[in-house]
Amino acid sequence: MTQRNRIVIAVILLAALIGGMLGVEALRRSAAQPDLPGEEADYPPGSIPVRLNGDVLAYFTPDDLDSLDTVSFVVDEEGKTQEGWLLRDVLLLLLGPTRLTDACVITVASSSREKSVDLTWVEVADEANKVLFDLSGRGTLKLVSLLERLDVRDEWIQDVDRIDVVCP
Amino acid sequence: MKKRYFTTFELILLALFSALIVVAKIALRFPITLSGHSGIFWMAIVIVGAGIVPKPGATSLMGLTSGLIAAFLGMGDFGALNTFMSYTFVGVGTDIALWLLRDPEHLIGAPVAAAIGHLAKLLFKWVFGIVSGTPVGFVALGLAKAVVGYIVFGALGGLLGALTLRALRRAGFFTYLAEKR
Repeated sequence: MTQRNRIVIAVILLAALIGGMLGVEALRRSAAQPDLPGEEADYPPGSIPVRLNGDVLAYFTPDDLDSLDTVSFVVDEEGKTQEGWLLRDVLLLLLGPTRLTDACVITVASSSREKSVDLTWVEVADEANKVLFDLSGRGTLKLVSLLERLDVRDEWIQDVDRIDVVCP
Repeated sequence: MKKRYFTTFELILLALFSALIVVAKIALRFPITLSGHSGIFWMAIVIVGAGIVPKPGATSLMGLTSGLIAAFLGMGDFGALNTFMSYTFVGVGTDIALWLLRDPEHLIGAPVAAAIGHLAKLLFKWVFGIVSGTPVGFVALGLAKAVVGYIVFGALGGLLGALTLRALRRAGFFTYLAEKR
Protein backbone atom coordinates (compact mmCIF):
# COMPACT_ATOMS: atom_id res chain seq x y z
CA MET A 1 0.00 0.00 0.00
CA THR A 2 1.38 3.43 -0.88
CA GLN A 3 1.81 6.18 1.69
CA ARG A 4 -0.82 8.20 -0.16
CA ASN A 5 -3.39 5.44 0.30
CA ARG A 6 -2.46 5.09 3.97
CA ILE A 7 -3.02 8.81 4.49
CA VAL A 8 -6.37 8.66 2.70
CA ILE A 9 -7.49 5.76 4.92
CA ALA A 10 -6.30 7.63 8.03
CA VAL A 11 -8.18 10.78 7.01
CA ILE A 12 -11.33 8.70 6.41
CA LEU A 13 -10.84 7.16 9.86
CA LEU A 14 -10.46 10.64 11.36
CA ALA A 15 -13.61 11.87 9.59
CA ALA A 16 -15.52 8.79 10.78
CA LEU A 17 -14.43 9.47 14.36
CA ILE A 18 -15.56 13.08 14.16
CA GLY A 19 -18.83 12.18 12.46
CA GLY A 20 -19.51 9.46 15.02
CA MET A 21 -18.88 11.75 17.98
CA LEU A 22 -20.94 14.65 16.67
CA GLY A 23 -23.71 12.31 15.48
CA VAL A 24 -24.03 10.52 18.80
CA GLU A 25 -23.94 13.86 20.61
CA ALA A 26 -26.69 15.23 18.38
CA LEU A 27 -28.79 12.12 19.12
CA ARG A 28 -28.11 12.55 22.83
CA ARG A 29 -29.28 16.12 22.68
CA SER A 30 -32.42 15.34 20.74
CA ALA A 31 -33.28 12.53 23.14
CA ALA A 32 -32.61 14.61 26.24
CA GLN A 33 -35.60 14.80 28.54
CA PRO A 34 -36.14 16.79 31.68
CA ASP A 35 -34.89 14.70 34.57
CA LEU A 36 -36.27 16.79 37.34
CA PRO A 37 -39.86 16.79 38.57
CA GLY A 38 -41.93 19.74 37.52
CA GLU A 39 -40.01 20.51 34.33
CA GLU A 40 -41.99 21.82 31.43
CA ALA A 41 -42.60 19.71 28.37
CA ASP A 42 -40.87 22.26 26.14
CA TYR A 43 -37.54 21.77 27.89
CA PRO A 44 -35.00 22.72 25.21
CA PRO A 45 -32.49 19.87 24.79
CA GLY A 46 -29.02 20.87 25.89
CA SER A 47 -30.10 23.71 28.11
CA ILE A 48 -29.70 24.60 31.78
CA PRO A 49 -32.87 25.50 33.70
CA VAL A 50 -32.73 28.77 35.60
CA ARG A 51 -35.10 28.89 38.58
CA LEU A 52 -36.28 31.92 40.48
CA ASN A 53 -37.67 31.05 43.93
CA GLY A 54 -38.23 27.46 42.79
CA ASP A 55 -40.01 28.19 39.51
CA VAL A 56 -38.30 27.59 36.18
CA LEU A 57 -38.30 31.01 34.53
CA ALA A 58 -35.86 30.43 31.71
CA TYR A 59 -33.53 27.96 30.07
CA PHE A 60 -29.94 28.87 29.39
CA THR A 61 -29.15 27.56 25.92
CA PRO A 62 -26.00 27.68 23.79
CA ASP A 63 -27.74 30.20 21.51
CA ASP A 64 -27.82 32.69 24.41
CA LEU A 65 -24.04 32.85 24.34
CA ASP A 66 -24.07 34.65 21.00
CA SER A 67 -25.41 37.77 22.62
CA LEU A 68 -22.95 37.80 25.50
CA ASP A 69 -19.43 39.20 25.64
CA THR A 70 -16.59 37.01 26.85
CA VAL A 71 -14.17 37.99 29.58
CA SER A 72 -11.06 36.27 30.89
CA PHE A 73 -8.62 36.08 33.75
CA VAL A 74 -5.51 34.10 34.56
CA VAL A 75 -5.42 31.67 37.48
CA ASP A 76 -2.35 32.77 39.47
CA GLU A 77 -1.37 29.33 40.71
CA GLU A 78 -1.44 27.55 37.37
CA GLY A 79 -1.05 30.39 34.88
CA LYS A 80 -4.13 29.01 33.14
CA THR A 81 -6.46 31.41 31.34
CA GLN A 82 -10.15 31.10 32.13
CA GLU A 83 -12.33 32.63 29.47
CA GLY A 84 -16.07 32.68 29.16
CA TRP A 85 -19.33 34.41 29.93
CA LEU A 86 -20.11 36.26 33.16
CA LEU A 87 -22.84 34.69 35.31
CA ARG A 88 -24.04 38.26 35.87
CA ASP A 89 -24.66 38.74 32.15
CA VAL A 90 -26.37 35.35 31.85
CA LEU A 91 -28.78 36.16 34.69
CA LEU A 92 -29.45 39.67 33.44
CA LEU A 93 -30.21 38.26 30.00
CA LEU A 94 -32.52 35.52 31.22
CA LEU A 95 -34.20 37.11 34.26
CA GLY A 96 -33.87 40.81 33.56
CA PRO A 97 -32.46 43.46 35.91
CA THR A 98 -35.63 44.16 37.87
CA ARG A 99 -35.88 40.72 39.49
CA LEU A 100 -32.32 40.71 40.82
CA THR A 101 -31.60 42.53 44.05
CA ASP A 102 -28.63 42.62 46.40
CA ALA A 103 -30.37 40.16 48.71
CA CYS A 104 -30.66 37.46 46.03
CA VAL A 105 -28.64 34.26 46.49
CA ILE A 106 -27.60 32.35 43.40
CA THR A 107 -26.82 28.63 43.61
CA VAL A 108 -24.89 27.10 40.73
CA ALA A 109 -24.82 23.31 40.86
CA SER A 110 -23.59 20.22 39.07
CA SER A 111 -25.64 17.10 39.73
CA SER A 112 -23.11 14.75 38.12
CA ARG A 113 -20.27 16.04 40.28
CA GLU A 114 -22.47 16.66 43.32
CA LYS A 115 -21.03 20.14 43.80
CA SER A 116 -22.64 23.52 44.26
CA VAL A 117 -21.80 27.02 45.35
CA ASP A 118 -23.94 29.80 46.81
CA LEU A 119 -23.17 33.33 45.70
CA THR A 120 -24.82 36.62 46.52
CA TRP A 121 -25.96 38.88 43.72
CA VAL A 122 -23.51 41.51 45.02
CA GLU A 123 -20.62 39.09 44.43
CA VAL A 124 -21.92 38.02 41.03
CA ALA A 125 -22.62 41.55 39.86
CA ASP A 126 -19.15 42.78 40.74
CA GLU A 127 -17.20 42.30 37.51
CA ALA A 128 -13.93 42.38 39.44
CA ASN A 129 -14.82 38.97 40.93
CA LYS A 130 -14.96 37.46 37.42
CA VAL A 131 -17.68 34.95 38.25
CA LEU A 132 -17.83 33.30 34.85
CA PHE A 133 -18.65 30.15 32.92
CA ASP A 134 -15.64 28.75 31.12
CA LEU A 135 -16.20 26.09 28.46
CA SER A 136 -14.47 22.94 29.68
CA GLY A 137 -12.43 20.71 27.40
CA ARG A 138 -15.37 18.39 26.87
CA GLY A 139 -17.75 21.22 26.16
CA THR A 140 -19.66 21.60 29.40
CA LEU A 141 -19.77 24.75 31.48
CA LYS A 142 -17.43 25.24 34.42
CA LEU A 143 -18.03 28.01 36.97
CA VAL A 144 -14.80 29.72 37.99
CA SER A 145 -14.01 33.00 39.70
CA LEU A 146 -11.42 35.09 41.46
CA LEU A 147 -13.52 34.77 44.63
CA GLU A 148 -11.63 32.90 47.36
CA ARG A 149 -14.10 30.00 47.46
CA LEU A 150 -14.03 29.48 43.70
CA ASP A 151 -10.46 30.25 42.74
CA VAL A 152 -8.83 26.81 42.76
CA ARG A 153 -9.51 23.72 40.68
CA ASP A 154 -11.12 21.70 43.50
CA GLU A 155 -13.61 24.50 44.12
CA TRP A 156 -14.67 25.07 40.51
CA ILE A 157 -18.13 23.77 39.61
CA GLN A 158 -17.62 21.59 36.55
CA ASP A 159 -20.48 20.26 34.38
CA VAL A 160 -22.97 22.90 35.56
CA ASP A 161 -26.56 21.80 34.99
CA ARG A 162 -28.60 23.93 37.36
CA ILE A 163 -28.89 27.59 38.36
CA ASP A 164 -31.21 28.52 41.25
CA VAL A 165 -31.91 32.10 42.26
CA VAL A 166 -33.63 32.81 45.55
CA CYS A 167 -34.74 36.38 46.21
CA PRO A 168 -36.59 37.34 49.38
CA MET B 1 17.52 -15.54 27.37
CA LYS B 2 14.44 -14.02 25.79
CA LYS B 3 15.13 -10.66 24.14
CA ARG B 4 13.13 -7.81 25.59
CA TYR B 5 10.89 -5.82 23.27
CA PHE B 6 12.20 -2.43 24.47
CA THR B 7 15.85 -2.10 25.45
CA THR B 8 16.72 -0.34 28.69
CA PHE B 9 18.04 2.57 26.64
CA GLU B 10 14.73 2.87 24.78
CA LEU B 11 12.76 2.67 28.01
CA ILE B 12 14.86 5.48 29.47
CA LEU B 13 14.26 7.58 26.36
CA LEU B 14 10.51 6.94 26.52
CA ALA B 15 10.43 7.80 30.23
CA LEU B 16 12.23 11.06 29.49
CA PHE B 17 9.75 11.92 26.74
CA SER B 18 6.88 11.06 29.10
CA ALA B 19 8.24 13.43 31.72
CA LEU B 20 8.76 16.06 29.04
CA ILE B 21 5.08 15.78 28.02
CA VAL B 22 3.98 16.53 31.59
CA VAL B 23 6.51 19.34 31.98
CA ALA B 24 5.37 20.86 28.68
CA LYS B 25 1.75 20.64 29.80
CA ILE B 26 2.56 22.46 33.05
CA ALA B 27 5.17 24.95 31.91
CA LEU B 28 4.45 25.89 28.32
CA ARG B 29 1.67 28.39 27.75
CA PHE B 30 0.12 29.24 24.45
CA PRO B 31 -1.69 32.58 24.65
CA ILE B 32 -5.02 31.33 23.32
CA THR B 33 -7.87 29.63 25.12
CA LEU B 34 -9.15 27.22 22.48
CA SER B 35 -9.71 23.62 23.58
CA GLY B 36 -6.80 21.33 22.83
CA HIS B 37 -4.25 24.10 22.27
CA SER B 38 -1.65 22.32 24.41
CA GLY B 39 -1.61 19.59 21.74
CA ILE B 40 0.81 21.68 19.72
CA PHE B 41 3.56 20.90 22.28
CA TRP B 42 2.20 17.58 23.42
CA MET B 43 1.86 15.91 20.04
CA ALA B 44 5.21 17.28 18.86
CA ILE B 45 6.89 15.42 21.73
CA VAL B 46 4.87 12.24 21.08
CA ILE B 47 5.82 12.23 17.39
CA VAL B 48 9.48 12.88 18.17
CA GLY B 49 9.36 10.00 20.68
CA ALA B 50 7.76 7.75 18.07
CA GLY B 51 10.53 8.63 15.61
CA ILE B 52 13.35 8.04 18.07
CA VAL B 53 11.92 4.74 19.37
CA PRO B 54 10.30 3.44 16.17
CA LYS B 55 8.48 0.42 17.60
CA PRO B 56 4.75 -0.25 17.88
CA GLY B 57 3.74 0.38 21.47
CA ALA B 58 6.30 3.12 22.07
CA THR B 59 3.79 5.97 22.10
CA SER B 60 1.33 3.87 24.14
CA LEU B 61 4.01 3.40 26.77
CA MET B 62 4.77 7.13 26.64
CA GLY B 63 1.08 7.91 27.13
CA LEU B 64 0.77 5.45 29.99
CA THR B 65 3.85 6.77 31.77
CA SER B 66 2.98 10.43 31.30
CA GLY B 67 -0.57 9.62 32.46
CA LEU B 68 0.75 8.08 35.66
CA ILE B 69 2.98 11.11 36.32
CA ALA B 70 0.17 13.57 35.56
CA ALA B 71 -2.33 11.66 37.72
CA PHE B 72 0.07 11.66 40.66
CA LEU B 73 0.66 15.40 40.19
CA GLY B 74 -3.09 15.99 40.45
CA MET B 75 -3.43 17.45 36.96
CA GLY B 76 -6.72 17.72 35.09
CA ASP B 77 -10.19 18.98 35.95
CA PHE B 78 -11.92 15.63 36.29
CA GLY B 79 -9.86 13.49 38.64
CA ALA B 80 -6.89 11.14 38.49
CA LEU B 81 -8.54 8.36 36.46
CA ASN B 82 -9.69 10.80 33.80
CA THR B 83 -6.22 12.35 33.62
CA PHE B 84 -4.44 9.00 33.47
CA MET B 85 -6.73 7.60 30.79
CA SER B 86 -6.66 10.83 28.73
CA TYR B 87 -2.88 10.73 28.51
CA THR B 88 -2.91 7.00 27.79
CA PHE B 89 -5.42 7.44 24.98
CA VAL B 90 -3.17 9.99 23.30
CA GLY B 91 -0.42 7.37 23.19
CA VAL B 92 -2.65 4.49 22.12
CA GLY B 93 -4.42 6.61 19.46
CA THR B 94 -1.10 7.77 18.02
CA ASP B 95 0.20 4.20 18.07
CA ILE B 96 -2.80 2.95 16.09
CA ALA B 97 -2.46 5.82 13.61
CA LEU B 98 1.29 5.25 13.20
CA TRP B 99 0.70 1.53 12.73
CA LEU B 100 -1.22 2.55 9.63
CA LEU B 101 0.81 5.58 8.56
CA ARG B 102 4.22 4.13 9.50
CA ASP B 103 6.55 7.10 9.03
CA PRO B 104 6.49 9.76 11.78
CA GLU B 105 8.80 11.97 9.69
CA HIS B 106 6.32 12.25 6.83
CA LEU B 107 5.11 15.85 6.63
CA ILE B 108 1.50 14.84 5.93
CA GLY B 109 1.39 11.48 7.67
CA ALA B 110 2.74 12.79 10.98
CA PRO B 111 0.14 15.59 11.34
CA VAL B 112 -2.65 13.14 10.49
CA ALA B 113 -1.35 10.60 13.02
CA ALA B 114 -1.00 13.32 15.65
CA ALA B 115 -4.50 14.63 14.93
CA ILE B 116 -5.92 11.11 15.41
CA GLY B 117 -3.90 10.61 18.59
CA HIS B 118 -5.00 13.94 20.00
CA LEU B 119 -8.61 13.34 19.03
CA ALA B 120 -8.45 9.98 20.85
CA LYS B 121 -7.93 11.98 24.03
CA LEU B 122 -11.07 14.02 23.40
CA LEU B 123 -12.93 10.84 22.47
CA PHE B 124 -12.07 9.34 25.83
CA LYS B 125 -13.03 12.51 27.73
CA TRP B 126 -16.33 12.63 25.89
CA VAL B 127 -17.15 8.95 26.49
CA PHE B 128 -16.05 9.27 30.12
CA GLY B 129 -18.32 12.29 30.40
CA ILE B 130 -21.31 10.36 29.07
CA VAL B 131 -20.61 7.39 31.36
CA SER B 132 -20.15 9.62 34.39
CA GLY B 133 -23.38 11.49 33.67
CA THR B 134 -22.21 14.73 32.09
CA PRO B 135 -25.18 17.00 31.44
CA VAL B 136 -26.15 17.21 27.79
CA GLY B 137 -26.32 20.99 28.02
CA PHE B 138 -23.83 22.88 25.90
CA VAL B 139 -21.88 19.78 24.99
CA ALA B 140 -22.73 19.93 21.28
CA LEU B 141 -21.57 23.52 20.98
CA GLY B 142 -18.42 22.82 22.97
CA LEU B 143 -17.80 19.46 21.35
CA ALA B 144 -17.76 20.83 17.80
CA LYS B 145 -15.43 23.61 18.88
CA ALA B 146 -13.27 21.20 20.86
CA VAL B 147 -13.04 18.73 17.94
CA VAL B 148 -11.73 21.48 15.65
CA GLY B 149 -9.25 22.63 18.30
CA TYR B 150 -7.97 19.14 19.02
CA ILE B 151 -7.48 18.30 15.35
CA VAL B 152 -5.87 21.58 14.34
CA PHE B 153 -3.47 21.76 17.30
CA GLY B 154 -2.78 18.03 17.20
CA ALA B 155 -1.90 18.26 13.52
CA LEU B 156 0.29 21.32 14.10
CA GLY B 157 2.06 19.43 16.87
CA GLY B 158 2.54 16.48 14.53
CA LEU B 159 4.02 18.72 11.88
CA LEU B 160 6.34 20.29 14.43
CA GLY B 161 7.37 16.79 15.55
CA ALA B 162 8.05 15.64 11.98
CA LEU B 163 10.14 18.75 11.30
CA THR B 164 12.06 18.19 14.52
CA LEU B 165 12.76 14.57 13.54
CA ARG B 166 14.02 15.70 10.13
CA ALA B 167 16.26 18.29 11.76
CA LEU B 168 17.59 15.66 14.17
CA ARG B 169 18.30 13.31 11.26
CA ARG B 170 20.17 16.04 9.38
CA ALA B 171 22.16 16.81 12.52
CA GLY B 172 23.27 13.16 12.72
CA PHE B 173 21.32 12.40 15.90
CA PHE B 174 20.08 9.03 14.65
CA THR B 175 23.61 7.93 13.75
CA TYR B 176 24.67 8.92 17.26
CA LEU B 177 21.72 6.99 18.73
CA ALA B 178 22.57 3.88 16.69
CA GLU B 179 26.06 3.92 18.16
CA LYS B 180 24.67 4.29 21.68
CA ARG B 181 22.31 1.37 21.18
